[in-house]
Amino acid sequence: MDPLARLRTVGDRLAPPTEALAQAIAERVIGLVIGALDLNALLAEIDLNAVLEQVDLDQVLDRVDVNQVLDQADLDSLLARVDIERILDRVDVNSLLDRVDVNRLLATVDVNRLLSTVDVTALIGRVDMDQVLQQVDVNEVIGKVDLDAVIDRVDMNAVLQRVDLEALVEQTDLGSIIAKSSGGVASDLVDAVRSRTVGIDESIARWVARLRRRPYTGPPGPPAGLRAPVAS
Amino acid sequence: MTAHTGKVTPFEPPPAARESLQGHYAGFASRFASFALDLVVLSGIFLLVLAAINFAASVLTGNSIHFSRGNTWVVVAYAVWAFIYFAHFWGLNGKTPGGALFGVQVVTNDGDDVSGRRAIGRTLAFPLSFLILCLGFLGILLGDQRRALHDVIAGTVVIYCWDARAARLRLLSRPRYSAPHAPPESHSLPGSPGQAD
Repeated sequence: MDPLARLRTVGDRLAPPTEALAQAIAERVIGLVIGALDLNALLAEIDLNAVLEQVDLDQVLDRVDVNQVLDQADLDSLLARVDIERILDRVDVNSLLDRVDVNRLLATVDVNRLLSTVDVTALIGRVDMDQVLQQVDVNEVIGKVDLDAVIDRVDMNAVLQRVDLEALVEQTDLGSIIAKSSGGVASDLVDAVRSRTVGIDESIARWVARLRRRPYTGPPGPPAGLRAPVAS
Repeated sequence: MTAHTGKVTPFEPPPAARESLQGHYAGFASRFASFALDLVVLSGIFLLVLAAINFAASVLTGNSIHFSRGNTWVVVAYAVWAFIYFAHFWGLNGKTPGGALFGVQVVTNDGDDVSGRRAIGRTLAFPLSFLILCLGFLGILLGDQRRALHDVIAGTVVIYCWDARAARLRLLSRPRYSAPHAPPESHSLPGSPGQAD
């Protein structure tokens, strides 16, 4: 027979009441200690910033399932309790905007798509153009315009082709200037004779074209290689 | 028509004259009128020369020379004179006196001035257009380039050499023609063919 078996049996019998007694003593001691501690004074002595600096928040957050947290949160009720106006009042918008790279922001904006949604006609309709124009110094604008460059871009020949020269000659003093600078009755007679003969040419040509059942579009020519107008 | 109404209408340039006709192929009437005037001029000069010869002969010899159409020498002289007349003026600047008045000029197919050789060729070929019953002139009416037979042979064309638009503007600038300076009744151009209508 094992000589320690009798002793082991006594130990097993005494262990539960001893453990309960120790537990009761520990709880009593802890209660007394906590009651004696001034937690506020204790926390005041703790440098929370130093503690937080030692905490790896990223690692902590990595272990947090944010989605699960958010799923469990009643955001509506939470936001209902938030005074947005008060928050915005405390936000320094100017400093916020100073920190925003507007160019970078605009680079990500599809301006064409944005404008396609804008009713430009309605927008312009709401603009008081008179008021806008009143604020424009036209003289200053014209002063900034390089008129020579503008004139260089104008096709004067095309402009002159749109001028009704015949009306100009008939209705202005330009006619009298031409009359004074050109010949007299003899040249008028020659012009009239030539014009009348050309009229007969045209009549004959039109008559022949009608006989041939061909459209007549005016006197043909000139020769392809005609180098310069021939002086009369 | 104006003779019936008693009103004088101003001479109105043809619509074609609204554009400069310079360089365009001349029509039948201008060419025919030009030739007719040349014929009058060269015939008049020829007759004057014959008259001068007749006068000189009568002064020198006391006998006048009677020229007639039946005289071969007269016909030959007339043909030679006509040849010289046309060849000279066409070779000079493409314009005979008649052509200068009616504003037509002979140039090559390419629009260049006619050389003396080409002018002689055109003058020699010119009678051919008559000799085939004037059919040589049909090309002026029917051809795209308004060329007669002698033009085709000589490689020439006839073009208008005057600026019709400038002439029209000159005409419109006349005080008695333009509207703001004259009453409607006096719009006609004195001396213009329009008055004779």
